[in-house]
Amino acid sequence: MEIFITLFITGFGLGALYFLVASGLSLIYGLMGVLNFAHGAFLTAGAYATWYFTTSIRADGSLSSYAMSLLIAGLVGALFAVATEQILIKYLYDRHIDQALVTVGLGLVATSAYLGWFGTDPLIVLPPTQLYNTVQIGEAFVGVDRFLYIGVAVLVLLANFLMMRYTRIGLIIRAGVENRAMVTALGIDVRKAFTFVFFIGGFAAGLGGALATTYASGVGPTLGDAFLIYAFITVVIGGMGSVPGTAIAAVIVGTTQVLVNYYVQGLGDFVVVMLLALVLLVRPQGLLGKVAH
Amino acid sequence: MNLLPSKYRYLPILAMVFFGVAAFTPILNEPGLQQTFAVAFLFAALALTYDLLLGFTGLLSFGHALYYAAGAYGAAYAMARWDWGIIPAGIFALFFATAIALFTGATALRVKGIAFAMVTLAFAEAGHVIAVLNMWGLSNGDQTLQLNFESVPDFFLGVNNTRNLYLLALITLILIYVAVWWLTQSSMGRVLQALRDNEERVSVLGLKPFNFKLIAFVLAGVMAAFVGVVAVIVTNNANPVMGSTQTTISLLLMVILGGIATRWGAVIGGLLYVVLSQRLTTLDTQGALSGLPDWIGGPMSEPAFILGVIFILVVMFSPGGIAGALYRLRMKFGSAVK
Repeated sequence: MEIFITLFITGFGLGALYFLVASGLSLIYGLMGVLNFAHGAFLTAGAYATWYFTTSIRADGSLSSYAMSLLIAGLVGALFAVATEQILIKYLYDRHIDQALVTVGLGLVATSAYLGWFGTDPLIVLPPTQLYNTVQIGEAFVGVDRFLYIGVAVLVLLANFLMMRYTRIGLIIRAGVENRAMVTALGIDVRKAFTFVFFIGGFAAGLGGALATTYASGVGPTLGDAFLIYAFITVVIGGMGSVPGTAIAAVIVGTTQVLVNYYVQGLGDFVVVMLLALVLLVRPQGLLGKVAH
Repeated sequence: MNLLPSKYRYLPILAMVFFGVAAFTPILNEPGLQQTFAVAFLFAALALTYDLLLGFTGLLSFGHALYYAAGAYGAAYAMARWDWGIIPAGIFALFFATAIALFTGATALRVKGIAFAMVTLAFAEAGHVIAVLNMWGLSNGDQTLQLNFESVPDFFLGVNNTRNLYLLALITLILIYVAVWWLTQSSMGRVLQALRDNEERVSVLGLKPFNFKLIAFVLAGVMAAFVGVVAVIVTNNANPVMGSTQTTISLLLMVILGGIATRWGAVIGGLLYVVLSQRLTTLDTQGALSGLPDWIGGPMSEPAFILGVIFILVVMFSPGGIAGALYRLRMKFGSAVK
């Protein structure tokens, strides 16, 4: 039982990281119909920013430096995302396949640039020692870092909810996901919302990257690509365009993966894909998706 | 879409005859070069099967590498573990790949467009994971599943026989080219292209889009598996990279660079991609980048960086790739001459 608790919370933490990547993907897809293959590159950029900040600028290993590195990683991811939208995506509106292709190219370029700059081997990022502590739950011991991932993801989910519910831009995004043509017809410039969605999506991915360096004990050029595939799966299971759906799916994917992987090595990744197939067979629109895609 | 005017129709045939004859002349006599071209032919063939999906049916799959790997592993496994000869092993591999393509295709085709892309990606990733982790002892993991030399005829073995491998790869490319040409010209091919252009219209005519798309998906998968079987003979192993998303993405690059839905565009894209990746790697070792500062020289030494940049530029500024660019040139100057 204690092993189950440890694994479950670890899986929950992994799911939180998936959520950080997938929420941005889901929003971007829901609003703009862009499948962003470069989203993993945003995450990796955030991870490298964390590495640089915690080893070269403030290498004191304190919690406050770590917190600052999270913020900086988020901003780096956001800037990268906004630049992508402004330089590449903007000129290809309503050419959905081309948009996806351009992000594929960008992902490739970014990964090979990281490879050229930082080398193949993962760079080690040491989080503050406090994160190595464990918390006792019943009989089980669980790493503190797991709760950090979950906490950050919950904050992002909450912020997302409040923004969607109570701000004007959130209203525009919600309306845009439902019916973009109508929003445009009402004279609202949806393009600003596009840029904004890329900003928050990139920010969440950058944050995820910073936390992923703790989860994976470092950062390599393909860190983001590894997360991206499971983030895609999460988005499809949750229903595209639905952030709460993404959150539920992220928890399911993360816990299933970690639990099954513990009992049969490697099978967890496989089971997650089968889960995706199952969801598609029973409910093609995903858990909380409104329309079949 | 026929971008090639009829008087140039014989050009692809001429090019293939040239490559066949060249292997016996000093132009392409060196085993290293022959091996490079053999791999390039196989990737060109693979790109063609991908174009059948992307260009002619309008299906953006991110999991095409799965069927290539299934063919390669199916054949390599039957040869290595059961001591089968290459022919029965190859046939087994094709059936194996067909079964996988049927199941994954039927599931993935329940969704459309971008979601379809994601689902195919996920299936391919599952296959890739099985190969990397050597699950159930199937794949030998990163050690690669070696070709059983007892299972193939002697004239495909050893450096001295590289030319035979080269010819085998060339014949594979020609076979796939003819098969894709025949398929796309057939009445089914016309339905596929109609599906790509307007699916609703096809279903109003009483045809079931799902069935046709599934047939195209499975056929493209089986052809990719066939290329995979040949790849085991040419490269002497089946390895996890074959089934990686990276492989599918390079196929996508080849088709887009060469020109979508033109057949010969995919071939040119495939050849160019393989040769360029090999040549660009030597850019760095030859010191061509030594004058550049590290922040730009580092990425430039990665072929994927340059190819990725070219790819982005082609998607943004030259839809239709090389084939499209040639077509526009002809429209501009060809009519002026007449």
